[in-house]
Amino acid sequence: MSSDFTDGDEPREFVHDDDGGPDPETHCGHGRGGMGEEVRRKEDKRFITGRGNYIDDIKKPNMLFCDIVRSPHAHARIKNIDKSRALDVDGVVAVLTAEDLLEHDLATMPTLMSDTQDVLVRDKVKFQSQEVAAVIAEDRYAARDGADKVVVDYEVLDPVVTAEEALKDDAPVIRDDIEGQTDNHCLDWETGDKEATDAIFEEADVTVSEQMLYQRLHPAPIETCGSVADFDPGKDKLTVHMTSQAPHIHRTLFSQVSGIPEHKIRIVSPDVGGGFGNKVPIYPGYVVSAAASYVLERPVKWIEERSENIQSTGFARDYDMTGELAATEDGRIQAVRTDVLADHGAYNAVAQPSKFPAGFFKIFTGSYDVDAAYGSLTAAYTNSAPGGVAYRCSFRVTEAVYLIERMVKVLADELDMDPAEIRRKNFIQPDQFPYETPTGWNYDSGDYEAALDKALEMADYEHYREEQQRRIENDADKLIGIGISSFTEVVGAGPGKTCDIAGVEMFDSCDIRVHPTGNATVRVGVQTQGQGHETTFAQIVAEELGMDVDNITVEHGDTDTDPYGLGTYGSRSTPVAGAAAAVAARKVRDKAKSIAANELEAAEADIEWDRQSGEFHVAGAPDRSITITDIAASAYMNHPASEEPGLEAVDYYDPPEMTYPFGSYIVVVEVDRETGEVDFEKFVAVDDCGNRINPMIIEGQIHGGLAQGIGSAMMEHVTFDDNGNVTGGDFMNYLLPTAKEIPNFETGHTVTPSPHHPIGAKGVGESPLVGSPPAIVNAVVDAMAHEGISHIEMPMTPDRVWETLDSVGLSRDPSDSFEIEFGDTGAEPADD
Amino acid sequence: MEFSGEFDLADVPPEKAWVVLSDPYAVRNSLKGCRYITPKDEDFSFDTYEPEEDVETLPDADPDDVAARAFQEGTEYAALMQVGVGSVKPKFETTVTIDERDEEEFIMTATGSGNASSSSFSMNSGMHIHPSEDGDGSRIEWWTEADVSGRIAQLGSRVMNPVANKIVGNFFKDIEKQMSDVEATDSSVTDRIRSLL
Repeated sequence: MSSDFTDGDEPREFVHDDDGGPDPETHCGHGRGGMGEEVRRKEDKRFITGRGNYIDDIKKPNMLFCDIVRSPHAHARIKNIDKSRALDVDGVVAVLTAEDLLEHDLATMPTLMSDTQDVLVRDKVKFQSQEVAAVIAEDRYAARDGADKVVVDYEVLDPVVTAEEALKDDAPVIRDDIEGQTDNHCLDWETGDKEATDAIFEEADVTVSEQMLYQRLHPAPIETCGSVADFDPGKDKLTVHMTSQAPHIHRTLFSQVSGIPEHKIRIVSPDVGGGFGNKVPIYPGYVVSAAASYVLERPVKWIEERSENIQSTGFARDYDMTGELAATEDGRIQAVRTDVLADHGAYNAVAQPSKFPAGFFKIFTGSYDVDAAYGSLTAAYTNSAPGGVAYRCSFRVTEAVYLIERMVKVLADELDMDPAEIRRKNFIQPDQFPYETPTGWNYDSGDYEAALDKALEMADYEHYREEQQRRIENDADKLIGIGISSFTEVVGAGPGKTCDIAGVEMFDSCDIRVHPTGNATVRVGVQTQGQGHETTFAQIVAEELGMDVDNITVEHGDTDTDPYGLGTYGSRSTPVAGAAAAVAARKVRDKAKSIAANELEAAEADIEWDRQSGEFHVAGAPDRSITITDIAASAYMNHPASEEPGLEAVDYYDPPEMTYPFGSYIVVVEVDRETGEVDFEKFVAVDDCGNRINPMIIEGQIHGGLAQGIGSAMMEHVTFDDNGNVTGGDFMNYLLPTAKEIPNFETGHTVTPSPHHPIGAKGVGESPLVGSPPAIVNAVVDAMAHEGISHIEMPMTPDRVWETLDSVGLSRDPSDSFEIEFGDTGAEPADD
Repeated sequence: MEFSGEFDLADVPPEKAWVVLSDPYAVRNSLKGCRYITPKDEDFSFDTYEPEEDVETLPDADPDDVAARAFQEGTEYAALMQVGVGSVKPKFETTVTIDERDEEEFIMTATGSGNASSSSFSMNSGMHIHPSEDGDGSRIEWWTEADVSGRIAQLGSRVMNPVANKIVGNFFKDIEKQMSDVEATDSSVTDRIRSLL
C-alpha cells in the first residue's frame, strides 16, 4: 500500500498501486467519471442558480455587525482614542480598542512567520488602513456611522514606503516594538554555492545582468474577507464562519490566541469567492468579530469593503530582483546568480512554510541544467500593509520563474540566439530525472522540450518570426514581438518534515465513508475557493473505487466534521489531499476485497480489482465478480466475520516529495508605436501537470490564471505616495483585467506523470500565473529588441511602453500618420 | 501638497477686502461645502452644534455684529466642511487656529486640521492683501500647505489637485462678488468696522 511509508531521514519510496495506478495514455474515466473525464462541476449548479452560500449570505438571529476604524496615516503614534461620540450613535452596542482586547489577552496575534501583529493598534500605527478600533452595532449602517465618530488623536510620524528607503541609515525605525530592533532590516537569506558560482562568473565567456521589479500585487479575490463569529455561552463553543483557505490551521491558531480549547472551536469555510493566497493569513477582523461575540454573547458579522481588502490584507510579490547569467559563447548557461530586495510591509507576515523565509524562491534555476547557482535576499520592514502571500503561486515561485525566464531572454538577445533554441540547449533532459538542482530541489519528472515543441507548433512560431522581420524591414506602425516562457514549478508542500505552517506539518487528509446503498461521502482536509474540489476529488475516488462519480459527495471546510488538513494554496490540494483521497480509496478497496472474497466464496488473495470495469472478481474467473455497490451493502448487511462492519477509511498523506509541473507558453504581441498599446495576437499555453483528472477544470484553471498573468504584466500595481497613502488601493486605481483585455487562449498539454504521486498528478492551478508574465514581458521586449531594449518593468502600461519605444527612436508621432493636402500650390500651411 | 495663487479685485481697496475676509460668515458663504465656522469654546461639540442660519453679511449686516464676530488672533475655530472628490465625500470636522492677524499689513495666517471618515488633513495657510499697483483695488496673495491622509489622498494628486483648485477658485470668485456688493456701500461702514476690530 502506498501509505506504508517508512519514517526516517531517507526520502521515502513511493509504492505504486497493484496495477500501477491510472495510466496516462489509456485512462479515460471508464465512463464512470473517473480520471481524465470532463465531468461537469458538481458545485456549479448552486453557483449558477444563485444558491451559493458565502459569508455575507450567512444571517443569524440577533446578529451584530462590526465595522473597523482604520488609520488614515501610515506611521503615527496613537495618543488617545475617544469612543464617547461613537457610543452615542443609535444602534452602536460597543466600541473596542486594544485596551479592551488586552483584558481578554487578544490584543495581538501571531503572523504565519512568528511575528506578532496588533489586532487593534496598541501604540503605533505602522501602515495606512491599519486596524485601530472596532465598532459593534445592531446593523451595518450604525456600525459605519459609529466608526466615523471614533475620534483618534494621532501624532503623525515620518513614514518609509520603499524597502530601499527603509534600509537607509536615517530611516525612521518602524518596528521599535521589537526588542533590540534599531533599523528596518527584517531578514537575510541565501541559497546555493556562492564560491562556485562566483568562480564560474569570473571565467565565463558571456555574462548578462538585469534588474527587475516584480511589483506589489494584490490577489484581489472578488469576495473580500469576512467572518460571522458566534460564541455559544451554553456550550462554551465558538463557531466562526470565515473566508478561510485553511480552516483547520486557523482553528489551531484561534485556540492558541484566544485560549479557548481547540475542541470548543469550530471553523467553517463556506463557499469562498476566490482566495488566491489572500485568505491564508489570519486578519484582525476575524479576531475582533470573535472577541466581540465572546464578550457580547451574540453573533457578530464582519465584512471587508473592497478598498479595505486591497489596503490591509496580504499583498503578493514586491521583490526587487537582480538577475545574472554566466554562459558559454554558444549559449550554454553555466551559472545563475541573483540578489533580491524584498518589501515585507510592517510585519513579517509572509504566508510560507516556516523554514522557507524566501518561500520556494530558490527554484530560480528553472528548467535548466546549470552547474552552479547562488541567491541572496534582504527583506525590509516598510510602512505598508504586511503580506507576501502566495498569490496563486507556490510561495515565491512566480518571482523565481519571472527572474529566470526573463534572464534567458536577456541572454538570448545578448548572444543573438533564438530564445527557443537557447532553451532547448539548456533544458534538463528527460533521462536526468530525478534531477537535483544546485539549490537543492529534487525535480520528480519532466520533458521540457516536448512541451516547448508543442507550443512552438501551436503558435506557428516560424511564421511570426518572419512576420516580425517583415514589419521591421517595412518600418511598420505596429511591431511584432514573440515571448517564450518554459517554466518549472514546485508545488504540493509538504513533506511535513521540511514544510510546516506555524509548526504543523504540511500533510493532508481524506476520509471516505461508503454508505449501505453504495454511495459515498468523501471529506477532505483542504478547502475550495472555486477550484472544483467537489468534482475533482470525487473523480479520484470514483477512479480508485470503481464507483460512479454521481454517487460521491465531497465535503470540505468544516473543522467539526472534516479530517485535519493544512488547506488549499500553493497548488497543494491535488498533490497532497488528492493523494490522500487515492490512498484512502485504496484502503477502502483493500477492505472491499475481503468482503468480495466472502461474497464470492474465494480466498481474499485470489480477489482482483479491475480498474477498467471497476469490479472485483476472482482471479482467472472474470465472470465471478461483484461491484462496489454490492460490496457496500454486504459491509453493513453481511459483513465477513474477519472484519468489522462498515466500509470506510481515512488517510493522512505526508508526501515524500514535492511535485514539479511545467509548461511552455508562447505569446505573440503587436506593439503600437503610436500609442504604446499592446495587443495579443496569439496566446499559447502548453501545460504538463502530470496525469490529468478533469481536463475541463484544468482548462478553466489555465484560462483564469492567464487572465491574472495579463493583469500582472499589463495593469496591476499597488502603489503608494510618499506619505504612505495607498494610491492603488481600490478598483478605480488597481486595474483588474476584464473580458476586453483578455485574448483568445489556445491551450495544449503533455503528460509526464509524477513518479511518486499515487495517481501521477502534479497540480496545475498556479502554473498559468507563474508562467505567463515572463512570456508576456519577453514578447513586448522582443518587439523592440532589435533596437537594443532588454527590459521593461511591469505593469507594461501604454505610457511605459511608449516611453520605452521612444527611448530607442521607435515611437511614432500620431501626427505623422496622416497628411493634409492643401491643393497643388505647394505653399506651406499657415501657422494658424 | 502646496497650493498658492493670487487674484486681483479691481475696485475693492485692501481695507474693505480685509473686513470681508475677516468675517467668518462671509467666508463660510463663499466656501462651497462649508456648513459653519464658529469659535470653538470648551463646550463645543460637532455632534450638537447647530449654526445660526440667514445671518446677514455686509452690506446688510450691522457693523457692530460684523466687528464682534471677526476672526481673532489666537482663537480656535470649528468648521464643518464637506469635500467631494469623485465618489468620496468626506465631511471634515475641522479645527482652525488663527495664528496671526496683521491689521496694518493685512496678513492673516492660520493652522488647522480636519478629520473625516477615513481621511484627515492638516494645513498651514495664509493670505496677504496688497494694494493694487495701479488704482484703488487690491491684489490678494494666498498660500496653503496641506498634508492629506487617508481615503481622499488615495485618489492621488491627479484627482485631488483639480478639486482643491476648484474650491479655491470658487471661493475667491464668490468673495469677489461679496466684495463688489460691499464696494457699493459707504466706505464709512467698513472703516468703522476696522476701527472696532
